Amino acid sequence: MSATRVRDDEQGSRTGLRLLIHDVVEIGVGAQTGFAGGRLTVGEREATALFAHPSLASVRVSCCSPGESVRIIKVLDAVEPRCKGDGGDVFPGLLGTAQLRGRGETHVLRGAAVLSAGFLPRAQEAVFQMSGAGAEFSPLSGTHNVVIEFEPAPDAAWQDVAAALRLGVLRLAVHLAQAAVDAAPDSIEELEPLSSESSGLPRVAAVTNIQTQGAFKDVLVYGRSMAGSLPTWIDPCELADGAVVSAQYGHPALKNPTFVHQNNPVVAALRASDEVELAGVILCPEPVSEKEKRLVSEHAARLCAALGLDGAIVTKEGGGNADGDVALKLDALEDIGILAVGLFAEMAGRDGTAPGLVVAPARATALISTGNYDELVALGATDRALGGERLGIIDAAAADELELPIAAIYGSLNPLGWNRVTCAVEA
Amino acid sequence: MRIVHYVNQFFAGVGGEEAAGTTPDVREGAVGPGRALVAQLGSEYEIVATVFCGDDYAASDASATEELLELVREASPDLLVAGPAFTSGRYGLACARLAAASVRAGIPAVAAMHPENPGVEEAAPAPVIESGKIGREMRASLQRLAGAIEKLARGEELGEQDGRVGRPPRHNRLADQTAATRSVELILARLAGDRERTEVLLPSFGSVTPSAPLEHPEGATIALLTEGALVPMGNPDRLESARATRWLRYPLDGLDRLEEGEYQSVHGGFSTVAANADPHRLLPLDVARDLEREGRIGTLHHEYLTTAGNGTQVATARSFGVEWAAELRQAGVQAAILTAT
Amino acid sequence: MLLCNLISIAIRVGAPRIVPTRGIPFPTGDPELVPEEERLLRRRLLERALEALGTAVEAPTVFDAPETPSGGGSAASSAATTAADSAATKAGAS
Repeated sequence: MSATRVRDDEQGSRTGLRLLIHDVVEIGVGAQTGFAGGRLTVGEREATALFAHPSLASVRVSCCSPGESVRIIKVLDAVEPRCKGDGGDVFPGLLGTAQLRGRGETHVLRGAAVLSAGFLPRAQEAVFQMSGAGAEFSPLSGTHNVVIEFEPAPDAAWQDVAAALRLGVLRLAVHLAQAAVDAAPDSIEELEPLSSESSGLPRVAAVTNIQTQGAFKDVLVYGRSMAGSLPTWIDPCELADGAVVSAQYGHPALKNPTFVHQNNPVVAALRASDEVELAGVILCPEPVSEKEKRLVSEHAARLCAALGLDGAIVTKEGGGNADGDVALKLDALEDIGILAVGLFAEMAGRDGTAPGLVVAPARATALISTGNYDELVALGATDRALGGERLGIIDAAAADELELPIAAIYGSLNPLGWNRVTCAVEA
Repeated sequence: MRIVHYVNQFFAGVGGEEAAGTTPDVREGAVGPGRALVAQLGSEYEIVATVFCGDDYAASDASATEELLELVREASPDLLVAGPAFTSGRYGLACARLAAASVRAGIPAVAAMHPENPGVEEAAPAPVIESGKIGREMRASLQRLAGAIEKLARGEELGEQDGRVGRPPRHNRLADQTAATRSVELILARLAGDRERTEVLLPSFGSVTPSAPLEHPEGATIALLTEGALVPMGNPDRLESARATRWLRYPLDGLDRLEEGEYQSVHGGFSTVAANADPHRLLPLDVARDLEREGRIGTLHHEYLTTAGNGTQVATARSFGVEWAAELRQAGVQAAILTAT
Repeated sequence: MLLCNLISIAIRVGAPRIVPTRGIPFPTGDPELVPEEERLLRRRLLERALEALGTAVEAPTVFDAPETPSGGGSAASSAATTAADSAATKAGAS
């Protein structure tokens, strides 16, 4: 793969998105932000300055790498460092105005993530660690992580604290990626534009359900909530440029951090297959009433039919309630002749013998298991911890040896298929 | 190893169907099949007590499991063994419920019954070991059960090869590929025509063995049943509208019709306006009497059975089915027609 | 045997003999019909039930809903049969 720098005037001729991938192999906090030879230095003062806001009293910047003895608790969001090559904005609607994105060039610091960690109301405590027993259950144990801890300003409203933190993390993600703009990329990914003409291969879309339950439980699309909306088709390249950002802090194992929306795993797997044609992404809100779930699900199925889809892979965010949205969509799709696969985490009880699904589809039968939510996991003690001094879900010091349900491990049962955990009968 | 053995009234030597109402009780040591079981195990095993109960009491009394568990606890066992219940539905349910409650209370347990016994689905988290169909297969059933007990004593988990039936425990593990990659493989398989492949089985409700066909309806007694919660106006026996825990029976003797205003549906799961205006929309008594008069059926059973099938726990619905079948068979009924809403 | 409207659920829980009904709130009736026709429908449902009871089955089997006495409801009846057919095919596979 040639590491040529693309000139500005070439960008307009392409109608897809080119990702310039820079691999991060080392990370550390230093005096000035820089990226060279795979080493990312996070400039401490530059980084903290990005969080200057009346709602935040202070932030602390730390780093940790795979294999280090570190546990991170109270994890909130994770974002992959990315920026546009032409100086435009990623995360449209949050950083800068809500303009359509997903074209031109985007720089990616692959193997790195910016994380926020600390207390927010309605957040369910999320835990993972970089090494030792139990590290393997979170995909973030494999990335070089910049961890932002924070102190809210006294009397600041929590929603403002969350918003300020979110903006700071996104800004930091852009700032870090910008350090790599002049470096030759290690690889280039061409995200081809979607074709409306049939290639002869089956057309399959990713139907991505997102949580839309208001404060601390919402997912933003171009900076706005999808609550009350109908499903929409979206170009996967727009996701790559941060059109979807998580503002949802519940369900550690069953949440989709911003990182996962940027790197939609179902989209990536469909692109990687030469036996299907990626037909796009259908973004759907997850309503909380049965009737609305039905409307959204049937509308999504009709939209899929209008797109001439042969198949759809349906995912969710959240627990049993969200299972209903997947189940309804699977049945609605199969009823109109579009084959469907759903991703579910199971709630099979501590010993794995309870029926796994809270709300199962009636007719659709092709289901992927992202693991048993209730099973206990042993986490080995670590030398240090970030995100807080003590756990809230059980009474223990943050770095202690622990036994927790896998439900508390960040990203472990990720409903968009990010991780490898599954549930099966012992051979 | 200290074992407490649970059996029903018949295997405890108290009596047959006539003793099905026997209240929970306990005997020291092994009784009936327990003796044969302990003979199959080594001297390190002892059945210290046999707890027993009548099948009807165990199946119908809400507090039965708690009472039985108390008796089990008092004997301080290392293991509770329940059954074998063969195909007896009430006995199987009793074994399953007691074994499940026992494990939850911290006492390891194992139940034994035929794979089609409704109790199989109720026993989790306790394991269920396969037994034969009938009492004559006791010896082989006890052999398998003894093998399972020895394995449990060694702290090992029971599997299919030990005769374990029911939902096997599923464990988390790391697959070679991400769930997303596997989902693409699965959609490709489905597009290629494989409609069976899946990683998660839809919840299964077990299987129902179809009865033999009714050869001569003109000589048969037929019963009418409804889950539409049809009760006399005013619901004198207070049938629940949802999550029912009971079923009821009402007389049809001498009745040719169900008059509007004399019956009502208390079902909470649908609009009862149509059913209340004409109860025959739930229980077709009028045309059943026509068929009886014309000799198309022999006799209509003298009462109907009813419950509210609204949000009923699967386990409860299954037990009602077992109880209704026992009830009707004892009353000489050959076939039943169940209306569902 | 079972007279019910939610055929897919009946099949899923393993009911061996199933006859489809016109609606959830009225398994052995249909308020859209005049009383004489409704009673005739009810009779035909019961006759179909007896037919089902007299048929040997190995797995959940859906028997055809009886013919409409008159006018409206025929679409519903044939729809029930169609759904029943594919359901019966699936039932055979499970």
